[in-house]
Amino acid sequence: MTVLDALFQIQREQDHTLVFRCACRVGMCGTCAVRVNGVPRLACRTRPSQIGTKDLTIEPLSHLPVIKDLAVSLEPFFEQWKRALPAFRGAGDGGAGLRRVPADSAFARLSRDKRDCITCGACFSACGIKGTSSEYMGPAALNRAYLRILDPRDNGARERLRAVDGERSGVWRCHTQFNCTAVCPKGISLTDSIARLKRLAARPGSIEKL
Amino acid sequence: MKERLRNYRWLYAGMVAHRIQRATGLLLLFYLFVHVRTIHKLSEGPEAFNEALAQFRNPAFKLAEIGLLAVVILHALNGIRLTLHDMSIGHSRQREWFWGGAVGVGLLLFLLGAVPMFLSGVMRGAR
Repeated sequence: MTVLDALFQIQREQDHTLVFRCACRVGMCGTCAVRVNGVPRLACRTRPSQIGTKDLTIEPLSHLPVIKDLAVSLEPFFEQWKRALPAFRGAGDGGAGLRRVPADSAFARLSRDKRDCITCGACFSACGIKGTSSEYMGPAALNRAYLRILDPRDNGARERLRAVDGERSGVWRCHTQFNCTAVCPKGISLTDSIARLKRLAARPGSIEKL
Repeated sequence: MKERLRNYRWLYAGMVAHRIQRATGLLLLFYLFVHVRTIHKLSEGPEAFNEALAQFRNPAFKLAEIGLLAVVILHALNGIRLTLHDMSIGHSRQREWFWGGAVGVGLLLFLLGAVPMFLSGVMRGAR
C-alpha cells in the first residue's frame, strides 16, 4: 500500500470531501506530491513502511497556496519556471538546422541525470531559501535553465544566463543546503545544476566552451 | 513565520551543515570583536594591555579557547566542503562529505589540538 492508496481509502471510507491530486500513479506525472511527516514526496511512490513511524502526517506542499486539503496551486512554481525562460529556442529555420545529439556528447553526458524533472514541486517545497524568499526562482526552474543553456541546439543561452544571474531571485540566492537534491523523487542533483550555473554566471564567456 | 521556521528544519546533512556554518560564523564574529578589543588595548599602553590579558589566564577562558578551536575547525572544514561543492565536486556523496569530511576529520583535528591545550592550559591552571 502506498500513501496514495491510503488517501483513496480515507476518501472512500471516512471523508468523501477529502481533496488530493493524482494522475499517473506510477511516479511519472508529479501530480501527487505531498509532504509526508514534513518531507515532500510523491504519494504514489511512498509506502508508509518507508517512513519508519507508526503515524503519518500528510500535508500539502509548502510555499504554494492551498486550494483545498492536499491540493495546492502550482502557479507560483510555474511563474518562477517561466522566469528561467524554459522553452527551447531553435535557430528559426523550421527545424532544418536541428542536429543530432550523440549519446557520448558533452550535452548528453552532462544532462544525463538532470533531464527527468516532472515538475512535481517537491524541491520547491523543500528549499529552505524558498521558505524565506518568494522572489527566488527555486531549484527546478534553475535546473531547467541549466539544461537549456547546455543544449547546443538552443539559441537563448546568454539571455537565459542573464535571467538566472540574480542575487535575490537567481542562482546566487542558493545556499547549497541540498534539501532539493535530498527530496527529488527523480534523483536529480539540482544543487549541482545550480553550482554549474553559478560558475557560468561568474564567467559568461565559458558558455562558448560548453 | 512558524511555517517558515518549520521548513528551515534539521533534516538533511546539507541543512545541518548550513546551520552549523551560520552559528560558527556568528561565534567567530563575536570572537573577532573580543580579539580586536584586546589588541586595541595596546594603544593604551603596556599596563592596559597586560591587564586585559590577565583576564584570559583563568581556566574558564582556557576551556573557551578549546571551544574556539572546535568552532574554527568546523567553520573552516565546512567552508572547504562548500567550496568544493561549488566546483561540482562531491555532490553525489554530499552527506558523507559533511559527516565524514567536515565532522569526522574535524573531530580528529580537534582532539589533536584540544588534548594538549587541556593538559597544558586548564589542568595546569587548576593546579
